Amino acid sequence: MEKSGSIDSLGSKRSSSRQPSVDSLSSTSTSRSDRSAQAKPPSAMSSDSVSTSTELSPELRVKPRTLAKQVLRDSDKEEPQLLPNETVQDMAQDVTYFCPFIGAMRGTVTVTNYRLFFKCMDREPAFVLDLPLGVVSRVEKIGSASTRGDVSYGLVCKDMRNLRFAHKQMEDTLRKSIFEVLMKFAFPVSNGLQIFAFEYGQVFPENGWKVYDAVSEYKRQGIPNESWRITKVNDHYEVCDTYPSTLVVPVNIPEEELKRVAAFRAKGRIPVLSWIHPESQATVTRCSQPMVGVNGKRSKEDEKYLQAIMDANAQSHKLFIFDARPSVNAAANKMKGGGYESEDAYQNAELVFLDIHNIHVMRESLRKLKDVVYPNIEDSHWLSNLESTHWLEHIKLILAAALRIADKVESGKTSVVVHCSDGWDRTGQLTSLAMLMLDGYYRTIRGFEVLLEKEWLSFGHRFQLRIGHGDKNHTDADRSPVFIQFIDCVWQLTRQFPAAFEFNEYFLVTILDHLYSCLFGTFLCNSEQQRLKEEIPKRTVSLWSYINSQLEEFTNPLYVNYSNHVLFPVVSLRHLELWVGYYIRWNPRMRPQEPVHQRYKELLAKRAELQKRVDELQREVTNRSASSSSERAGSPTRSITPVQTFV
Amino acid sequence: MACKTNFPSIARKHCQSLLSHLDFGADQRNRFHEQLTVCFLHPALRQSFDVTVCRTPPCCCTSHLLKIPGETFYSHIPGLHLHVCFFLPRLSPGEIVVNEVNFVRKCISAESSQDDLWGKLICTNFKVSFIPQDAPPKQVFVLSHLLLGEHDVPLTCLEQVVTVNDTKGKKKVLGSNQKLKFNPTELILYCKDLRIIRFCFDEAGPESAKKVCLAIAHYSHPADLQLLFGFEYQGRRYHESKGERINGSTPRGGLQTPIFDRPSDWDREIKRTGASEWRVCSINEGYAISQSLPEYIVVPVSLADQDLKQHSLSFTDQRIPLWCWNHQNGSALVRMANLSDPLQQRKTDQRFLAAITKSHPQRSEVFRSDLDKCLPNIQDIQNAFVKVRQSCVIDPFEESEERWLSSIENSRWLEYVRAFLKHSAEIVYHLDGKNSSVVLQEEEDRDLSCVVSSLVQLMLDPHYRSLIGFQSLVQKEWVMAGHRFLDRCNHLKKNDKEESPLFMLFLDCVWQIMNQYPAAFEFTEAYLTLLSDSMWIPLFSTFLFNSPKQRAQHLMDFAKNKAIPQGEDQVVYFPPVWNWSQQFSTKDQTLFNNPMYVGKGAACVQNGEVKTFRRTKKTYSSTLRGTSASVRNGMRGGEETLPRRGSLVSELRPDFSPVKDESPSERFFRDWFSRPADQQGLLIPLLMPSHMALWKLYFLRWVPEACIPRGGPITAYHKLSQLVDEIEILQSQLRQYKGPSPGSTPLPSPSGPPSDQRRMYFKAGSPNDPPTPPDFLTSSFPFTPVGNLCRRGIHGTPISKFLNEARIWLSTETLANDTV
Repeated sequence: MEKSGSIDSLGSKRSSSRQPSVDSLSSTSTSRSDRSAQAKPPSAMSSDSVSTSTELSPELRVKPRTLAKQVLRDSDKEEPQLLPNETVQDMAQDVTYFCPFIGAMRGTVTVTNYRLFFKCMDREPAFVLDLPLGVVSRVEKIGSASTRGDVSYGLVCKDMRNLRFAHKQMEDTLRKSIFEVLMKFAFPVSNGLQIFAFEYGQVFPENGWKVYDAVSEYKRQGIPNESWRITKVNDHYEVCDTYPSTLVVPVNIPEEELKRVAAFRAKGRIPVLSWIHPESQATVTRCSQPMVGVNGKRSKEDEKYLQAIMDANAQSHKLFIFDARPSVNAAANKMKGGGYESEDAYQNAELVFLDIHNIHVMRESLRKLKDVVYPNIEDSHWLSNLESTHWLEHIKLILAAALRIADKVESGKTSVVVHCSDGWDRTGQLTSLAMLMLDGYYRTIRGFEVLLEKEWLSFGHRFQLRIGHGDKNHTDADRSPVFIQFIDCVWQLTRQFPAAFEFNEYFLVTILDHLYSCLFGTFLCNSEQQRLKEEIPKRTVSLWSYINSQLEEFTNPLYVNYSNHVLFPVVSLRHLELWVGYYIRWNPRMRPQEPVHQRYKELLAKRAELQKRVDELQREVTNRSASSSSERAGSPTRSITPVQTFV
Repeated sequence: MACKTNFPSIARKHCQSLLSHLDFGADQRNRFHEQLTVCFLHPALRQSFDVTVCRTPPCCCTSHLLKIPGETFYSHIPGLHLHVCFFLPRLSPGEIVVNEVNFVRKCISAESSQDDLWGKLICTNFKVSFIPQDAPPKQVFVLSHLLLGEHDVPLTCLEQVVTVNDTKGKKKVLGSNQKLKFNPTELILYCKDLRIIRFCFDEAGPESAKKVCLAIAHYSHPADLQLLFGFEYQGRRYHESKGERINGSTPRGGLQTPIFDRPSDWDREIKRTGASEWRVCSINEGYAISQSLPEYIVVPVSLADQDLKQHSLSFTDQRIPLWCWNHQNGSALVRMANLSDPLQQRKTDQRFLAAITKSHPQRSEVFRSDLDKCLPNIQDIQNAFVKVRQSCVIDPFEESEERWLSSIENSRWLEYVRAFLKHSAEIVYHLDGKNSSVVLQEEEDRDLSCVVSSLVQLMLDPHYRSLIGFQSLVQKEWVMAGHRFLDRCNHLKKNDKEESPLFMLFLDCVWQIMNQYPAAFEFTEAYLTLLSDSMWIPLFSTFLFNSPKQRAQHLMDFAKNKAIPQGEDQVVYFPPVWNWSQQFSTKDQTLFNNPMYVGKGAACVQNGEVKTFRRTKKTYSSTLRGTSASVRNGMRGGEETLPRRGSLVSELRPDFSPVKDESPSERFFRDWFSRPADQQGLLIPLLMPSHMALWKLYFLRWVPEACIPRGGPITAYHKLSQLVDEIEILQSQLRQYKGPSPGSTPLPSPSGPPSDQRRMYFKAGSPNDPPTPPDFLTSSFPFTPVGNLCRRGIHGTPISKFLNEARIWLSTETLANDTV
């Protein structure tokens, strides 16, 4: 930090230190929505950045020495800065990109095995679109019969935007259009190719695959204890192939009974412990629906098992079963053999339906949201249009449900069982959000990574199916923005408690960007078993390696550890907001808000500098007074006590 | 307090016995105070009582209620531990109690009466006051007003006084001088600051309850402006504080905010903005020309007084065009009223336009904006405010939750906020981007012009984003420009049709900019909220009058009546709101300070000393480079030929909508947004509908359901404030250290500057403090919802249900007719 004379001067310094690429905002480069990080590098995903931007991709961050040279060269090159093992597959000149905000422009398109790169040199500064192919949901050829003989391609993206390009009809009809090449690499799975994450060979100082270890996490929670034990019954994924190998179950249930419980729970997903309250011993457990069916089948073992969960908590003689679904849906599941616990069979248990809709409803809701926000927001009826998407209403229901769970555990000291149908979508949303409210550890960066590894990845949220990595089948009914919804909920919490989370908005956006990018192995596959089989940790890089190697970028400077403090958000539409920094970030009119975080960091630096000067002066005084007092005994000693700081 | 329900009878009994034991003669008062102190020190009691001692003689003791809380009473009587509290209304100078009733229950929550407070309800000539008997531990960290208690409402703040009789199923909205044919069981006060306060009279004497309700209704409808309490209060205060004033006499009572009632204030503004082609003109001295203009106005140098006088006749109320502000490029912002004389219209119009053009260095064409044609009118704004208030505070919380977004949209409040911001940004484009002078025209030039001209200046000139600058802006563009505060606030409740929350709308617009640029303003949203609340306290000359002339006349009469010497400055004897020490302690005023503020810490104009206007080095000529040149229009031809098949088309279509032709102003904005914002330069808010937010602190601060414990933006403010305090301590240490002559300066103190000079509300913590935000921080801070918003809940009696359906705000008329 250069020296500055007063607080006041910080402002101008800040503005001047903003990265030059801000100018490219006029050319769709609002990718970095993080208000806290004006001068931070865009994530590998955050396309549309200008070529003068210095720190483009992960590998550059850790190889600063090569940076300067490359940047110089890069600024007038038409090709992207390539990642390790990234190779150019095709290039085409004279391609028109129809920017919905500033109109059409002509430039060069490069397709690699990882990205699409468009650069228009006609503009000052050059306009760049840098898009990992992983975000492409589908590519359609449109308007081939154009009078001008142009062929037009539309790219529908998973990250809330659509892109449209056109180029001249190939005279050589045998030659493939660049977009046909693109299609091949955008959908590697459908084309028998490998996802880029398996080729990306970047080495980071941190190893993200070491972030989560189930046994240590349970140990942190105090498990095993007198009521709960770690079982190895699923060591080889025999009881449940979508569960992790390490499970925590009540002490007094033998392995044989666990298997019988598994037979009664959909997909064998038995109730297992997610979190235990350090004081009351009330627990959050998760499972899938019971296989009750139309005839109201019962399972003695399952009933006994839930009783054991209740008994493990001496504070309460009740157990709450939270069924995330609307009761109608839960009842309808009986036709398919599923259903819900009857209160007759499960004594002392109270069943509550939480009215959260299924993956199909959520997908439709996000689709509508995209219609409302992209590319432009209508001047009138914004709020009612937003309301008609029901997106915030769904967010509200999820947060309200998680709050109820957290409140039962914290205030009611009662154990809860959470399930939906299969227990890998809504259940994961609710347990992880409740844990985020209950346990400050999960609000740290590492804690949050552990939370995702545990409640989402190890418990088999089907990322591959929900996102459709590398798969061209965009109409797949299994796709759904369940995880995006969860991150949105987390963002809502950070809005209500700006000082309670160690991570910033940029962290959340980065996670979502790499959810699609296929650069890291973290979100590949559907289950722990699959990841093991594919040797994901061995063959790919973890997103947490990238993030943990540059924590500064993702840290919320305002963070204070709310030690043992449970967050009770206000779950009301009055406080829930649309996450404009994510959903509207492509709009060039959407300038990230003036960063409170940035200002706080500047002030921290200012304080450090002043403290240094005060300390220096104090030393000087001490020395001087020491020497002068030796000359003239009895002269008053001046001293400066450093200000007490508590950070 | 276990015996709450039968508390009144116990209290009555024991008060009597206590009164017989204690002599309240003047000589005994000291003894009594002693006893109070002892009680207060008793550890078991220390926390649970708020001891209010009236120090202002004379104490009329019989009206004091002695209170013995149940538990304390049984465990400690008799003896020294007997806990006795005075419960006296805190009266301001000149304030008298009109009527009062005991054993009133103030409702705290709609769901249950468990937390309700018992106490005395008092109506004075200034406020409605409630003095609880069981004072709960005072919420220390909630802002305390110097003149109003936690449970007080100024009479001018009352929007509607509603009495209810639950058993008879009757209710009535009370006006002035009305009769009430039933004994009210309940009183609901709807306040202009959005509070809703409910009192129940189940244990109170029915006749006294009725009398108090009628008194409140009557006194909240003053027949005459001079009956507003400010006229009593300021007279007393002036005489009582005379001694203090002479001691530390500074010009204008130390007020730094220019009032613009004298030529020098305008001169400074002309100099500050470099408006060399404009001059101060005094033809309206003594309001000789116009009834609504200030005495001194700024006009083009090329127009002679004689011309102005002659042409003034053509304007509505003789309001000749008024200069507001000059851009550093020479463009001027001018506001004017419509021309009323059709014969002279053309001539006068051209004369003025020519003069304004002449005052521009480049003689560029003047842009004229007719605000009446492009902005909502005052009625629209009033309706929008009524609706947004309905959604925020009146509709039951859960019911309004379902259609929250569309109900906010339907109110149109945010749409209007956006319209004003957008229009102001357009004006900014003309002044800054096109380098042309702008004339804002409105029929009377006293409503919409105030909003637009002040927003334009706020965007263009960082000076107005400092506290003093902002206050001078309000003074210049609202108070002196003749905004009809009296009518728009409807203080006399005479004409509802004239009521309109324009100033509130302006504050909301300011908040929107502040929300987007949190480091650009020296003040906080708490300041804006408290400023809005001050409109409803009738003690400040700022919001009481319709024009400078009306102010001058009333204050002259006032001075005569109150024996205030001639020649005394009205700012001293009837101060404006800007003298904040009238309302808040120095410590509480630090809540106004924004720790993030990037700018000159002090205002530009201080005690008559002009500091140079900091010009930002910006060359906007280069910013208008042709970005659209690279947009090849021809390339858009293929769009129409899109095949419309399948869902792809519907999904892709938004993308293919033709790129809108960008207007020059849109290009100007886009270009501006593409560069880093200079907090001390031009600021343009993002104007997308998605970026207009509801001002939660203002609209939701009383709503208990919306209050986030230990959350909200205040938690970030808390941390920033502490950090800045640390920085200021360090800076002060450095300053002391570098003091001119070592030895003569005191030793640097580790605690930094004395606490009354520290600017931050939250002080640097000690290492022992827990880092967690303190418990008292909620999203409503520095306000509290407790007892301030008591809607009749769903659990209420049938009549309350009826009331809810009646939608009190929307159908005042039906209710008013609904007499018993």
